[in-house]
Amino acid sequence: KCPDPRPSRLLSSNYNLTSRHFRTQAGFDTGRYDRRHVHTHFAPWRTLRSADYEELEFNCCDLVGKYIIVGTQQGHGRVFNMNDGIEQFSMNCHNFSVDAIKANRAGDLVLTTSLWRTPTSILWNIADNEFKSKLRLTEVTYCEFSHTSQDRLLGTQNESASLFDINTGTKVSTFTPTIPNQYTKNRATLCRTDELLLSDGVLWDVRSGKEIHKFDKFNQCISGVFHPNCLEIIANTEVWDLRTFHLLQTVPVLDQRNCTFSPMHVIYGARLGADRDEVMETYDTSFNVLDAYDYSSIATIDVKRNINDLSVSANGSLIAVVEDHTSYDSKQETYVKIYAVGVKKSERSEEEDDEEVPDSDEEG
Amino acid sequence: MSHHYVVTAQKPTAVVACLTGNFTSPTDLNLIIARNNQVEIGIVTPEGLRPLKEININGTIAVMKHFRPPDSNKDLLFILTRRYNVMILEARMVGDTITVITKANGNVSDSVGIPSEGGVIAAIDPKARVIGMCLYQGLFTIIPMEKDASELKATNLRMDELMVYDVEFLHGCLNPTVIVIHKDNDGRHVKSHEINLRDKEFMKIAWKQDNVETEATMLIPVPSPIGGVIVIGRESIVYHDGSNYHAVAPLTFRQSTINCYARVDSKGLRYLLGNMHGQLYMLFLGTSESSKGITVKDIKVEQLGEISIPECITYLDNGFLYIGARHGDSQLVRLSSEAIEGSYVIPVENFTNLAPILDIAVVDLDRQGQGQIITCSGSFKDGSLRIIRIGIGIQEHACIDLPGIKGMWSLKVGTDDSPYENTLVLAFVGHTRILTLSGEEVEETEIPGFASDLQTFLCANVEHDQLIQVTSDSVRLVKSSSKSLVAEWRPEGDRSIGVVSCNGTQIVVASARDIFYIVIEDGNLQEKCRKTLAYEVACLDITPLDEKQNKSELVAVGLWTDISAVMLSLPSLDTIYTEKLSGEIIPRSILMTTFEGIHYLLCALGDGSMYYFIMDPITGQLTDKKKVTLGTQPTTLRTFRSFATTNVFACSDRPTVIYSSNHKLVFSNVNLKEVNHMCSLNAQAYPDSLALATKNSVILGTIDEIQKLHIRTVPLGEGPRRIAYQEASQTFAVSTLRIDVHGRGGPKPLRSSASTRAQNITCSSNILPKPGGGNSTAANAEVGQEIDVHNLLVIDQNTFEVLHAHQFVSPETISALMSAKLGDDPNTYYVVATSLVIPDEPEPKVGRIIIFHYHDNKLTQVAETKVDGTCYALVEFNGKVLAGIGSFVRLYEWTNEKELRMECNIQNMIAALYLKAKGDFILVGDLMRSITLLQHKQMEGIFVEIARDCEPKWMRAVEILDDDTFLGSETNGNLFVCQKDSAATTDEERQLLPELARFHLGDTVNVFRHGSLVMQNVGERTTPINGCVLYGTCNGAIGIVTQIPQDFYDFLHGLEERLKKIIKSVGKIEHTYYRNFQINTKVEPSEGFIDGDLIESFLDLSRDKMREAVLGLELTLYGERKSADVEDVIKIVEDLTRMH
Repeated sequence: KCPDPRPSRLLSSNYNLTSRHFRTQAGFDTGRYDRRHVHTHFAPWRTLRSADYEELEFNCCDLVGKYIIVGTQQGHGRVFNMNDGIEQFSMNCHNFSVDAIKANRAGDLVLTTSLWRTPTSILWNIADNEFKSKLRLTEVTYCEFSHTSQDRLLGTQNESASLFDINTGTKVSTFTPTIPNQYTKNRATLCRTDELLLSDGVLWDVRSGKEIHKFDKFNQCISGVFHPNCLEIIANTEVWDLRTFHLLQTVPVLDQRNCTFSPMHVIYGARLGADRDEVMETYDTSFNVLDAYDYSSIATIDVKRNINDLSVSANGSLIAVVEDHTSYDSKQETYVKIYAVGVKKSERSEEEDDEEVPDSDEEG
Repeated sequence: MSHHYVVTAQKPTAVVACLTGNFTSPTDLNLIIARNNQVEIGIVTPEGLRPLKEININGTIAVMKHFRPPDSNKDLLFILTRRYNVMILEARMVGDTITVITKANGNVSDSVGIPSEGGVIAAIDPKARVIGMCLYQGLFTIIPMEKDASELKATNLRMDELMVYDVEFLHGCLNPTVIVIHKDNDGRHVKSHEINLRDKEFMKIAWKQDNVETEATMLIPVPSPIGGVIVIGRESIVYHDGSNYHAVAPLTFRQSTINCYARVDSKGLRYLLGNMHGQLYMLFLGTSESSKGITVKDIKVEQLGEISIPECITYLDNGFLYIGARHGDSQLVRLSSEAIEGSYVIPVENFTNLAPILDIAVVDLDRQGQGQIITCSGSFKDGSLRIIRIGIGIQEHACIDLPGIKGMWSLKVGTDDSPYENTLVLAFVGHTRILTLSGEEVEETEIPGFASDLQTFLCANVEHDQLIQVTSDSVRLVKSSSKSLVAEWRPEGDRSIGVVSCNGTQIVVASARDIFYIVIEDGNLQEKCRKTLAYEVACLDITPLDEKQNKSELVAVGLWTDISAVMLSLPSLDTIYTEKLSGEIIPRSILMTTFEGIHYLLCALGDGSMYYFIMDPITGQLTDKKKVTLGTQPTTLRTFRSFATTNVFACSDRPTVIYSSNHKLVFSNVNLKEVNHMCSLNAQAYPDSLALATKNSVILGTIDEIQKLHIRTVPLGEGPRRIAYQEASQTFAVSTLRIDVHGRGGPKPLRSSASTRAQNITCSSNILPKPGGGNSTAANAEVGQEIDVHNLLVIDQNTFEVLHAHQFVSPETISALMSAKLGDDPNTYYVVATSLVIPDEPEPKVGRIIIFHYHDNKLTQVAETKVDGTCYALVEFNGKVLAGIGSFVRLYEWTNEKELRMECNIQNMIAALYLKAKGDFILVGDLMRSITLLQHKQMEGIFVEIARDCEPKWMRAVEILDDDTFLGSETNGNLFVCQKDSAATTDEERQLLPELARFHLGDTVNVFRHGSLVMQNVGERTTPINGCVLYGTCNGAIGIVTQIPQDFYDFLHGLEERLKKIIKSVGKIEHTYYRNFQINTKVEPSEGFIDGDLIESFLDLSRDKMREAVLGLELTLYGERKSADVEDVIKIVEDLTRMH
């Protein structure tokens, strides 16, 4: 092995924003450092407080254009304007808590899931400030839109996954593994091109309906998600190569965390309310920011409250976090906090709860 | 809506790639140079480099490589653009012209792939079987080469290696084999992969070497029969071929990365290496031959000398190399076999490169309404200031040192059959000298008939082979053949001649108020008429209006006292028209001339301004009075003919050429400092030339046909970053970065540079406390470590001498500077922002804003204030200092106690990198969060956020076009315009800055400045443009963005659409695709911008193509809508080109 060369002035000057600024102008490629720098700071930008809305508890959220759609403990789906925090309209979607809410890109379809009463998942049509039920999927505990044309739904029913056609409401195909892994929180998911499907640790070819590969089981709960580059699968802490099925690397900080991808090529890892181990009562109040290129850690942001859900805006410049504040001496309160990516917490805080400013634990 | 015209004034100059091969024919040695979106094809001849052709690609060139198909004796060119277009080009000689044909093309982008960070890499198999590219993270893209396929199709192979630094193909392999340098958690490794072309997959790893140097960055494949690869690290070089391994760590490698190489011989035994310090090395492979073939025995590296910081190097022939550069001038150098002062490198020619332009100042030093651009160009040792102005160039052919010239005329003496002039008459105070031009030789001679002991006022060839000389005493008529005096005319008494003018047959002479009209006859001067005018005559002209005629019907006179231009008719000298010139400055030169059939009277005054009129040739009536400022000194007007058109040369401290285009007068600067006198000269050795007398010399030269940009270089030897102009002190302030090396006695400059050569050098004494307790990098530095030293240079505006250098102590870095007048303070100050840049901190924590006063050759610090971060931008804001500091925008007022006091503050940015202000409004460009408009509420003393663009954009420059319209440049080479929507009905909409215009420039704009390259206050334009913003780019281009009205936009857009169809681009990338606005995953068509470069290419079309292009095009001319004809469009486009 060759000895390490001395540190280089030219290479190290990329880390400091000021020296990088001039290097960028001189034509050096510094995008990676800027992208990482930006993702070390998150400033609260807007907050929806449950206290302002009479006994509401927020469970989940999704950012769609200038709106934020929120699912509540009371079974409501509510739509707020992000800029002024004013509720636009709402609907009692389920009799029990809405555990997941997800809109399509156009914002005219919304999926809600309630884990405790049937029908568990409902597809809503949003028009004229109204939720209209379009499709009811019983037994579906997790559901997502297909990616390319968003005209299909992929529903998870235990270890099987089913594709539904949105327009006809019919089940197109079902994927049941021959030897199930029985992940406790299986969530079937499609890759970005909708050609591959991962459910219960098994990779499928969507068109032929054939099993391609069964990944080794390294944990009990999480089946895995596709990396947006369609080359890798992140299954809990393991990163698998989609073509060779080799284990590429292990990312310990992602243990039991849900991965949300930002178009700015970072991964947000957070342990969400729905996944929380109720028995253990171990709360995790932070989310991780990882570089989607190499899974290196960019920052860990502690919001000092339990995280129920995390959603990234379409352009990646805002994230919404549903925070749950439980303490012994006060009553439980939930917030939906929207953070501006990259912005430092302002000195003159508009928020009164400054003691709960997120802390960035690491930078780089 | 928002409509804009964007055009390049100076094409990008940074070289991306260069290579040598046989392209135009199997025997031609061609040098191919790629710059941003153009490819230049040149040929290497015994006389030197000769450019053959320049082609434009509709894309930004990322990689250019060449290869030779197995069955060919010519090389082909492969180009990959930033937007993943690929093409294979062939140069063909058809007769004398080269045509470049696109043999194959395609797009290799992948909708799912994540673009690799750190740039794309491409390599071509030595047997031309496949092209391999690293475009996307985790993928290796291959294009199998099929013979005669016109479409290039790509296949993505999964590459296990995630962080790839370099990829090359190995020579002498049965199957195409790539070798990569990649990095994982353990370090960097070298690995080879064999490609199965049939199944399009990687087959096996032939060999690998784990843990090469941790900074290994470059691979050099060694050709057969040696084979293998050279791995270049920062301190070591390794040769490896799978079994054989040699390593060397040359001591001469300094702390700089080798960033390019060139193979010298086809056997692959010698390579040239260049690094970021601009050092050139030769690498030798020592070989031994055994039964197994040739194997490498050892590696030697020798330092050859210094070159420009190279981006690419190519070896031409006979020891000549071309150095392509992006941080300094590109070069042609020769390697000598013997060291001269320790260097084997002999520079032969430099090729101007402005890149990277970090900042520009637009100044109108001569107050002509025409800007000069001063750029901060280049990096490190190749840093320079470039002074760019537009004008007509004089190509100097000879220069004679002769001070004190008062007048100059060219004559044809004694040679009646030759068309060439052979004599120059020069007037001095109290005497006259005559020079003969024989060939290129210049000798002093005498003409016996001339009075040489007096100052000549006028000399000319006149009818009947005679010469005229006019002195203060008399008018002398001299026979050209005998050179002897044949007639003389004197004013009676001891009166002396004041001013005079003549043509081939007529002379007018004035002595105080009296004016005499003399006709030239053979051997006789016949006084025809005399008149006494109301006031003394200041200047005269009798130039015939009809070029074919040798006589004039009119005399133009400029008078003292009442300051008027008077037209007299001949032969009676009767006053037929009087035009009072307003003001008190006397006319110094008057001239009648005809441009494009229109008769003009030009009258230049003693202050450098000039009136011009349209003149009636019969009545002498003057109409359409206009005034322009040409210089600041008395101006002399002379006519000359060039390229078969009449031109007028205005001699002054700002020499100007006046000509006419589309029936409008055009005033164009000449790239000379000062011209006192001029005459046209058509001598045998200097045909179609001009003789120009400056203060100390006579220049013989030719004049350019068209105005163009002229670039003057002021080398600094260190990297300039920011520039500000201060009129009060007639200086520029420039912030620079110099690299010192820590020696035993502290840091020492590496080389002599602007800051070390300054007349005065001071050092910043007030050092801020270091965060973290005195952990100064300078104190802890080990010997040999490089240190950034920042200097504030004060530079003279005329001589560009460094008057003062104020040095800051590392790690204090200058981040912004400006010149400003603050509060009620009468002084003008330089405001300088600094911060302590510590490499392992993500952002500086502390900095300061310092107020300097430069006065009486002294730089004094007047005040300073500490700030908590880096101030990236400074703007003078209503007598206050507006600063973008880290995530804040702050306003400081200047108190009577001469202190900066913070007035207000707003924090809603990631980093407020760019600021512009207009009135109370402030435009902020952020690192990632696009642009934001703020308003300063003076009464409340607060900032209010008015509106912002919510789409994230990584900003690179911003500018305010007008009160509602804002221009931005972002990091992917796109321009966009956002407009404030004041008419919006809801607050929510008002808070948005909708994006109304977008355009892909293909180069990153680093700086915008308002200003114009051409004179603004003269001549009318047919093109209605509004405002003018100049920009400077990362690749060294300078361009213009201007606003245009909707109907003109629609017309140009129509023309653009037609030109897109008519002009077939090399590489077959659609113009629409090229100009598409792409940010991350968002793709939108270009709109609201007209591509001026495409519009101007109309003028290069053949007449037939022009007719095709304007077919069906409609335009509004003089309020009337009609279908455009070719002439109309040419006029409009020519007028547009005159912006630069």
